[in-house]
Amino acid sequence: MSSLAAPVVPRHLATPLADARAGLDACVHCGFCLQACPTYLALEDENDSPRGRLVLMRAALEGRVSLDDPDVATHLSRCLGCRGCESACPSGVPYGHLLEAAREQLSSTRPLPVVARLILWVFARPAVLRVALWFGRLARDSGIAAELARLPGRFGFPFAMLASTARESAPQWTPRRASVTRGTVATLDGCVMEGLFTGVNRATERVLAENGYSLCDAPGQQCCGALHVHAGDAATARTLAKANIAAFEASGAQFVASNSAGCGAMMKEYGQLLADDSAWRERARAFSAKVRDASELLAAAGPRPGAPLPGEITYDAPCHLEHAQKLSAPPLQVLAAIPALRHTVLDDREQCCGSAGIFNLIEPNVSERVLAAKMRCITATGAPVVATGNPGCLMQIGAGLVREGRGAVARHPVELLDASYARQER
Amino acid sequence: MSLAASLRAIVGDTHVLDRPAELLVYESDGLPGYQRTPSVAVFPGTADEALAVVRTLARAGVPFVPRGAGTGLSGGALADGAVLLGLNRLKRIIAIDPVRRVARVEPGVVNVTLTKAATPFGLHYAPDPSSQTACTIGGNLAENAGGPHCLKYGVTLNHVVAAKVALPDGTVVELDSDDGGYDLLGAFVGSEGCFGVALELTVKLTPNPERIVTLLADFTSIDDAAQTVSAIIAAGILPAALEMMDQATVGAVEASIYAAGYPTDAAAVLLVEVDGATVGLDDDVQGVDGICRAHGARDVRIATEPAARARLWQGRKKAFGAMGRLAPHLVVQDAVVPRTKLPALLARIAAIGDENQVRVCNVFHAGDGNLHPNIPYNANDRDEAARVHVAMRQIMQACIDAGGTITGEHGVGLDKLPYMDALFTPDTLDGMCRLRDVFDPLRRANPGKVVPVRYCRERRPATATTDGGRRTDDR
Repeated sequence: MSSLAAPVVPRHLATPLADARAGLDACVHCGFCLQACPTYLALEDENDSPRGRLVLMRAALEGRVSLDDPDVATHLSRCLGCRGCESACPSGVPYGHLLEAAREQLSSTRPLPVVARLILWVFARPAVLRVALWFGRLARDSGIAAELARLPGRFGFPFAMLASTARESAPQWTPRRASVTRGTVATLDGCVMEGLFTGVNRATERVLAENGYSLCDAPGQQCCGALHVHAGDAATARTLAKANIAAFEASGAQFVASNSAGCGAMMKEYGQLLADDSAWRERARAFSAKVRDASELLAAAGPRPGAPLPGEITYDAPCHLEHAQKLSAPPLQVLAAIPALRHTVLDDREQCCGSAGIFNLIEPNVSERVLAAKMRCITATGAPVVATGNPGCLMQIGAGLVREGRGAVARHPVELLDASYARQER
Repeated sequence: MSLAASLRAIVGDTHVLDRPAELLVYESDGLPGYQRTPSVAVFPGTADEALAVVRTLARAGVPFVPRGAGTGLSGGALADGAVLLGLNRLKRIIAIDPVRRVARVEPGVVNVTLTKAATPFGLHYAPDPSSQTACTIGGNLAENAGGPHCLKYGVTLNHVVAAKVALPDGTVVELDSDDGGYDLLGAFVGSEGCFGVALELTVKLTPNPERIVTLLADFTSIDDAAQTVSAIIAAGILPAALEMMDQATVGAVEASIYAAGYPTDAAAVLLVEVDGATVGLDDDVQGVDGICRAHGARDVRIATEPAARARLWQGRKKAFGAMGRLAPHLVVQDAVVPRTKLPALLARIAAIGDENQVRVCNVFHAGDGNLHPNIPYNANDRDEAARVHVAMRQIMQACIDAGGTITGEHGVGLDKLPYMDALFTPDTLDGMCRLRDVFDPLRRANPGKVVPVRYCRERRPATATTDGGRRTDDR
């Protein structure tokens, strides 16, 4: 039975994928990941599944195919990076890291699409990003975005995303002075969060303070680098990571909090991102150990119940909370602290919505099919509010709801808790 | 027009693959030790498209291999130069009839999806292979799949009522268990893709039991656990499931995200489930508990809450996948022995493992005597790979010698071909070839599987109706 012997693997120079070889070997090809993969469900080809992509990575490593073979590149590019497969894999294949390694290797021979490079370039430059987001707010607040959102297909969708970030002015209230102190927290402002969800950031600060956390500033913080790593640009991500580590160290805070699932997941992985950098390894590890999703800190504090906020919601789990950070319960605990808020369980809530960072902008067709499945489940709940704790998901589902035209909206769980607190007499 | 072009005209451009990189993942099923490259892979989206594909392949005289989700464990869905016919897109549940307790489904429906759809009616689809979250009903039909709960509820054969089948020549036949005459549906179930393609299946749905209790018994000796299995059945208790896992398996599961709280220091654990009417069920629970303790169980845990029971089962069902963490490669085996021979066989398997210096992990359907000895190893170590090969042959021979057989539920496929000679006489194998000829005289469907090619070839000249000049199954 010759099948028991593996082909001899040619020796390669150390590459990101070769370094990740052990992770590839853990895959036993059982196929349990297939039904957890949104792109497999949408496209129905195993090349667009975790098992298929792992086979392509392994074949590339063994020299059976070239990583820049257009077919290999296509199927690796079409991965959302949602890591839903990791939550199904009995063998513990570190799929997210393997994908990042493959993309890093791929990017050295095959440049990213122009749109992706432009977006990543902007996000790595705070001054440029501020201007871009200013224009975004201008388009949103003037109503232009809502008008352009009516344009069909690929052109209208980004404007629907932008339009969905509009909020009525948040209620003003002041957190009470806490009787117990749960620790000092510096929050990551985040690029999109601070630019388009300013109100959610302020709400996060208020509800953390209301639950006993003291907030400190961390000036000098930058983009977390998640978009860069996911696209294969680890070098830029490492530069951004170092800036953030330095900024948050200087703040002296015990915890680094993020209300963006994707950014939180990235910062929790700085330790791995900088593992080969002897000057930063320990600092990165210590930093990552302090990172918490805002919902984690709130759940640890209860959180304190607010005033009744009658209404119906459904909850969609952001992949980078559910699968990357393995946090299922905390956001639900945040929502459960709001009396009179009824929660209808969303079918397949752990499945990706198709946002996946900038995936919806560079793979719009695949993203649209993944979103369509999500929207069918959301519509079936009939809930007028979808709660989800990540800017990408808020805008993707938000755009889906704008286009659906039923009047439903997407909201961050923290926003809802903030509204509940605002109704309390103090 | 090339074959690929003809197929694209039927199913659309994106659902025909013929470039080398895109065929790589379709080289293997759930047993990646085998790799065979198809010439083309085609994925019809409707039953009509599937039939048109089968007819196009028949006109072209091209061999083909049906495939569901590719979770099979015998190399059965590998296409060596043949056309791979993927049925995973045929995933419509056509109708559920809660009164007659049947469902009509397309072959690509995932096993657990059917149970999920039947849940609102208080019903479920009983055959529950461990891969049920991924495998398809059509694939289950082809392999006559089992699963833990088949001890009480029966295998796939007992749950398929009718099938609409495309024979390899493109003829459509309806096979129905209610029809008089020979049980052709029974012959088709478990034919491993060699008799044709099911386009639509009617399957039974089973009422959910009123009450279910799951027990986890923990033993310091494998022999004690094995003796307990027969003792439970001998006491007249028929559990819904009766599963055994050894220490190596428990260790792999407990290191995974499916950790179920199994005791990692036990030599073996038994997972026993009893179900049925609430009245009288406690007698069974106490009976199983008492028998386990009488046979040396250190502890027996009893779970009644759905969440706690599900956790115990998730660990068992994901055990094979969890072994991926033990070594880079894994062979998965499947054999059956008379239940009373389990203690002796397990001792023999342990001895074979020691003699060949390989690590055998046992996780299996003990109540059925259906063994799954699995060996994690490193295929890059030629010496170790050779020792694994020897150990596997010895284990299979030991099962045959004990009056058992070479597959319980995974099928023969490619992996078990070498053992067919050891189990069956040439006359019996010849009889199998003749049955195959009834459905597929040209042997274009899943060529080279199940029966060793030489038996089919030897009798070929006597078969006047076949195209003797075409080499189809001796690749």
